Amino acid sequence: MTRDGFEALAQAYGGDMARWPQDHWDEAALFAAQQPDLAAGVLAAAARLDEALDAWAPFAVSHGLREAVVAAAPAPRVRRGLTAWIWRAGAGAGLAAACAAGLMVGVMLSEAVTPVSADETVSASLANYDDLTGLVNGEGA
Amino acid sequence: MGDPDEALLARVADGDPAAVRALVARKLPRLLSLAGRILGDAAEAEDVAQETFVRAWKQARAWRPGVAKFDTWMHRVALNLCYDRLRRRREAPTDTPPEVVDDGPAPDRGLQAMETGERVAAAMRALPDRQREAIVLCHYQELSNIEAAALMGVSVEALESLLSRGRRALRAALADMVGD
Repeated sequence: MTRDGFEALAQAYGGDMARWPQDHWDEAALFAAQQPDLAAGVLAAAARLDEALDAWAPFAVSHGLREAVVAAAPAPRVRRGLTAWIWRAGAGAGLAAACAAGLMVGVMLSEAVTPVSADETVSASLANYDDLTGLVNGEGA
Repeated sequence: MGDPDEALLARVADGDPAAVRALVARKLPRLLSLAGRILGDAAEAEDVAQETFVRAWKQARAWRPGVAKFDTWMHRVALNLCYDRLRRRREAPTDTPPEVVDDGPAPDRGLQAMETGERVAAAMRALPDRQREAIVLCHYQELSNIEAAALMGVSVEALESLLSRGRRALRAALADMVGD
């Protein structure tokens, strides 16, 4: 690479060689190794302009703009046709299965906790009373 | 090299709200700055950025990976919208004189007191449109020379010429800051 070529690249792309086109990297690095003072001066001058350009801050995004852009975004996909039918059928089957399971659990629970009849309750209470009476009378001692 | 936005775009196409916000966070500041620096007008830049996203949302479900990078496509859309506005400006009669940009190093000139960023902005606005576009795409947007040339519809050599002339003019306008 010639001096003119090196200067032209710095003039176009700035003082950071990493931002130069990749196909020039090897040649530019070789030139910089051969002419370090010259290359450093060229790069430093270009870098001063880069630094000045960077002082122009990016434009700030307002909350209103961001929300307006987000609000215009696609809504979640709505399923149509066969896909929707399958989806609804699947959901319906699931719902039916859940109902059936709930029904079975209900039946099982009801069997487990069904109260005994009133007669049985009274008989049990009387039997307990008899036991107590026996204890009071000294029959159980 | 794959498109870094591809996976996010697929989720956007499904209407994933988190993906929408992630893509907006990634691209909106970039596009707003692109339009702002090309047009030099914040309100117009917001319009361009918003319209670019409206088109991007429409495109999301039809996007075919591998054809182009999504970021490049968004730049193409935004640039075209900027070009439309610049063309309308040129065609519209105006009584407003063009902005005067300080191009001398004398310390007592009026624009000397401007903040550095404002001075750079003024110097950029004073450039011919194509030189400004080249510098915005390569320096600020950090696009490769090939991407920038393709977006501008010119050869890489023509792009380099625009960059060199633009930077030379900026160096002259900002000579007191950057030296000779």
